[in-house]
Amino acid sequence: MAYRAGRVLFYFFLFLIMALMVAPFLWMFSVSVGRPSEVFVVPPHWIPSVVQFGSYLRVLRELPFLSWFLNSFKIASLVTVGQLFTCSTAAYAFARLRFPGRNTLFLILLSALMIPLQVTIIPIFIIMRVLNLLDTHLALILPPLVSAFGVFLLRQFFLTIPRELEDAAVMDGAAPPLIFWKIILPLSGGALATLAVLTYNFFWNDYFSPLIFINSPAKMTLPLGVGIMAGRYVEAGGMGADATGIVAAVSMSIVPVLLIFLFAQRYLIESITMTGLKT
Amino acid sequence: MKDIDTVGIEEERREPMRRVAHREAFWGYIFLLPTAIGFVIFVLGPMLGAMGISTLKWDLLSPPKFAGTGNFAALVKDARLGLILRNTVLFVIADVLLNMLLGIALALLLRGKIPRVVGYFARLAFFFPVIVSVSSAAAIWIFFLQKDLGILNYYLHLIGLPRIPWLGSSRWALRSVVLFDVWKNVGFYAMVFLAGLHNIPPQLTEAAIVDGANERQLLRHVTLPLLTPSIFFSVVIALINGFQVFAQSQILTRGGPGDASRTVVMYIYEQGFRYFQMGYASSVAVMLFVVMAGLTLLQFRASERWVFYQ
Repeated sequence: MAYRAGRVLFYFFLFLIMALMVAPFLWMFSVSVGRPSEVFVVPPHWIPSVVQFGSYLRVLRELPFLSWFLNSFKIASLVTVGQLFTCSTAAYAFARLRFPGRNTLFLILLSALMIPLQVTIIPIFIIMRVLNLLDTHLALILPPLVSAFGVFLLRQFFLTIPRELEDAAVMDGAAPPLIFWKIILPLSGGALATLAVLTYNFFWNDYFSPLIFINSPAKMTLPLGVGIMAGRYVEAGGMGADATGIVAAVSMSIVPVLLIFLFAQRYLIESITMTGLKT
Repeated sequence: MKDIDTVGIEEERREPMRRVAHREAFWGYIFLLPTAIGFVIFVLGPMLGAMGISTLKWDLLSPPKFAGTGNFAALVKDARLGLILRNTVLFVIADVLLNMLLGIALALLLRGKIPRVVGYFARLAFFFPVIVSVSSAAAIWIFFLQKDLGILNYYLHLIGLPRIPWLGSSRWALRSVVLFDVWKNVGFYAMVFLAGLHNIPPQLTEAAIVDGANERQLLRHVTLPLLTPSIFFSVVIALINGFQVFAQSQILTRGGPGDASRTVVMYIYEQGFRYFQMGYASSVAVMLFVVMAGLTLLQFRASERWVFYQ
């Protein structure tokens, strides 16, 4: 009997917490298809009484939403590909190639992990200003092309690849580039995918850098656009007219993440938490 | 060209080896080049640049003026910064504590035997807030936290509690940001701790049970000590993220009312990109860096005392 009661209590708490985690999103979807007047209706309608997509259409018409979406996609993709390239090559150098100063350079790289973005952002802003790259996507893409974290992650992984494979190739006269391309990379699918997932998610969601570098609405990224909309709402005292518009916009910004999450869920969670255990 | 009679056997043997070593070093530097270039331009250079700029008074429109330690002296006297620092520290303490406690609790909850399907949906539910962007999630929470018409207050009212001015009162603004941040991130820490729990050898738990340990003793003497590596990792990450809190407070409360929920990074942003006080903003940023680096080093030192690796 006690066991039964324990189980019931357990499930009660579990479902309660799960509900708390997703409640905001459920409300969001429900309100986004409801009538504007029902945003603040009390008691809240968890299931909408009507389903109409007017708010979505309005947002798509009045805001450069598609541009925001494509911008985020472009920047996240380019940065991710760039990081995969620079981090894997550097990681290979640190893991398998011997050269003077290797350990010192690696330590310098690691110490960079502790440098917060806020310290370097002002000089980078000045650099971009000098290069006339303010309010361009290049300003968002170039700085993150290198990543101390990515190098660290991949180096740790490369170290686990058995040396015998490379030794065999070396004895056959293969030079490092060939070894890298034909042996190391094919074996690193998991680690590369992990880095790709983490990087992509981070830059898709990035708010700080776009806020600093981008001014034109058409060039903004999704988080920036949505954030500014919400900010205006707060400034208007929270009672602005277009509550459903904001909610619809946020829904649209979340749907891609939701879809990817549903498909790659196990992989995403494992990769994010595995970095914690391996490091 | 060396005459073969004057070269010793040892050197003869070393020549090809040296050539191989040279070739390897050559490739080492080549492979390192992309990262090295980017690193110098976008990390090392700016780091030094920030330290340099913090000795200047510069608004980007007129030429910079040298101020030496002037900015740092102003830092110390800045009353707003004092409040902002206090906000940030309070935020970090509350955020880290709650994330750790709730994260461990959730992990323990999820550890037991659950049907596959339930586990699948539970992981989905816990992790979804983590991967959504801060700005999208915060935008929704603005609605939730409205004093009169927000849902959170509606349910509080239902169970007899007063309606809380989450975003509007200086007392509750920072707490709202903490609440939001914990909701958003606790799933991540729960998963880290769950993975850590799986790494505990079952033999140890079984041995303890055989020796007569009850649930609480088990937790205190077996589970938690073996979880310390995960806790250490989580605390380091949570501290770093906590001190850098920006988007959460920027979107939810704009730092208000007044400066009640303003954080250090918000101040850096405001000083640098609203008022264009580049020198002062840089000095605040350098200060932040020193604090964070110092804290991280301290933690690593202290970890030798309390973290237990198997």
